[in-house]
Amino acid sequence: MSAIIETQAGTPLHVRQAKRKKQFYILLTAFFVAVQIIWVGIPIFMAVMWSLVDPANPWSFPDILPQSFSFEPWKFVFRYTNIVRALRTSYTVAPLAVLLSFVLSLPTAYVLGRKRVPGRKFFMLIVLLPIIMPGMVVALFLSRVFAGIGLSQTFFGLVLAHTLMGMPYMVRVLTTSFASIPQDVIDAAENLGAGTWVKIREIFLPMIRPGLLAGMIFAFVTSIEEFNLTFVIGTPTYETIPTILFSFMGYNFIRTNASVVALIMMAPNIVMLFIVERFLKSDYLAASLGKM
Amino acid sequence: MRNKDASLINYLMLVPGVGFILLFIGSSIFLTFAQSFGLFSITGRSEFTLDNWVQVFLARESLDSIRFSLKMGVMSSVGTLLFAFPLALFFRKGGAGKGMLGSLVKIPLFIPALVAAFLIVNLLSFHGLVNTFLLRLNIIKEPMRMLNDRFGWGVIFIQIWKNLPFVLLIVMASIASIRDDTVDAARNLGAGYLSILFRIYIPLAMPGILVSMILMFIKAFGDFPIFSVAGPIYPSSVAVRMHVMATLYQEWDQAAVLGIIIIFTTFFVIWAYSRFAGLVQRED
Repeated sequence: MSAIIETQAGTPLHVRQAKRKKQFYILLTAFFVAVQIIWVGIPIFMAVMWSLVDPANPWSFPDILPQSFSFEPWKFVFRYTNIVRALRTSYTVAPLAVLLSFVLSLPTAYVLGRKRVPGRKFFMLIVLLPIIMPGMVVALFLSRVFAGIGLSQTFFGLVLAHTLMGMPYMVRVLTTSFASIPQDVIDAAENLGAGTWVKIREIFLPMIRPGLLAGMIFAFVTSIEEFNLTFVIGTPTYETIPTILFSFMGYNFIRTNASVVALIMMAPNIVMLFIVERFLKSDYLAASLGKM
Repeated sequence: MRNKDASLINYLMLVPGVGFILLFIGSSIFLTFAQSFGLFSITGRSEFTLDNWVQVFLARESLDSIRFSLKMGVMSSVGTLLFAFPLALFFRKGGAGKGMLGSLVKIPLFIPALVAAFLIVNLLSFHGLVNTFLLRLNIIKEPMRMLNDRFGWGVIFIQIWKNLPFVLLIVMASIASIRDDTVDAARNLGAGYLSILFRIYIPLAMPGILVSMILMFIKAFGDFPIFSVAGPIYPSSVAVRMHVMATLYQEWDQAAVLGIIIIFTTFFVIWAYSRFAGLVQRED
């Protein structure tokens, strides 16, 4: 049977099928890439365009692109708004929150990852609460709790709130890393007479490093884009980039200013995305959050 | 891992992480609950009352808000899945260029919700790209209303745009864990593309599909920022209504009732999920 087909077509059927399938996949990939470039690229491109609109030559219908470009919106935002202060607040709160959540998560993640404590599943679920709980509810009533203990409208309160929101990622990702250390390695080290400190330095720290990096990046990004808690607990004393953006998009909607702030907020995050892509092989987000 | 290990030191080590979260989240849930019944009230006297609950459920605005938020939750999670599932299937196979596509797809994951809302506003508003194009091509006579529309399409679109990579990552992981042997065996037994899709891929990816849809629903149901940018003037989402109640009208007790409704819905959905997930896969 196959001999007949071969003689008829020159190349065997299954080879032609495989070739056609390969071509189909290349076409499909090209299609998806094109769709994604439009889907993700155009919205970002529009924001860049809006941030460069020349105030003297407004961009209005029916122009597809602005008539002329200038850096006026950027100058305006940096000169007349609180953006510099908000940037400073955002980028001091975030590292502090990451550090605090790391310190708090480390022992917990160790136990959850390596020990079979009764109620482990329950604790794993509790850890997810900050991202499961609706942000505005937590924000409003945590602000009451904070008001009660004098943390409302304070810098420390802001750091605590951001730490809280970053904890789920940190604990979950570190737990996955701790759990993935083979027991053999630890047993071998113990056999060779390694003490606690040696084990921490030579086994645990190096082996959780990729997970630690992932957890830190997730916690950092969460802090940079945290809106609900900052809006309720920090405003008006402390403004971060998201709350500034929100104010530009609310009652006084100024599209050019909003585009500038949006770009300022977005750029570092996309850079971090590529760091994650480059340095982390496996998908930590899916691994640590794919199961509740 | 070894035997059960319930020593005190382990629990002590759980305190910084689990304790920290329990302290703050627990106290705010407790306060919401207590205030909804008039206890620990900030305004007025503190005494047990069901008055706030009656008031909230008698107000048409509240009921409309709840209905609207439920709609947003369902539409956003189903919509995102419809986009994510074909992509996830493609990623299982895929050819050259998959890596580049992977990075491109993930970009919205790292774009904050507010920024995402703003980016999409530029596309959908009266003088947005979509309207401009359609007008210039004479497809429509006057700009379409796609933001702040009564149905909430603007909100749904932003939710899908922002959360597609999140859902994709989770669904992709569960599709990737399906063994090729299973698919090959089905094909050997004469299964077509559709029956492989409906009887292999979808059932075996169900745990991931469920988790992602649950998380998506919760996000969209309790959403504040996206709604305030792109949502209709009436009805508002539950979270926005709660915020207005608390900060504008100073009706903290009624806001607490709305808060409890959001929390209850969230927990109910998770509970329903855990029951359903138990039926889908029996493993522990």
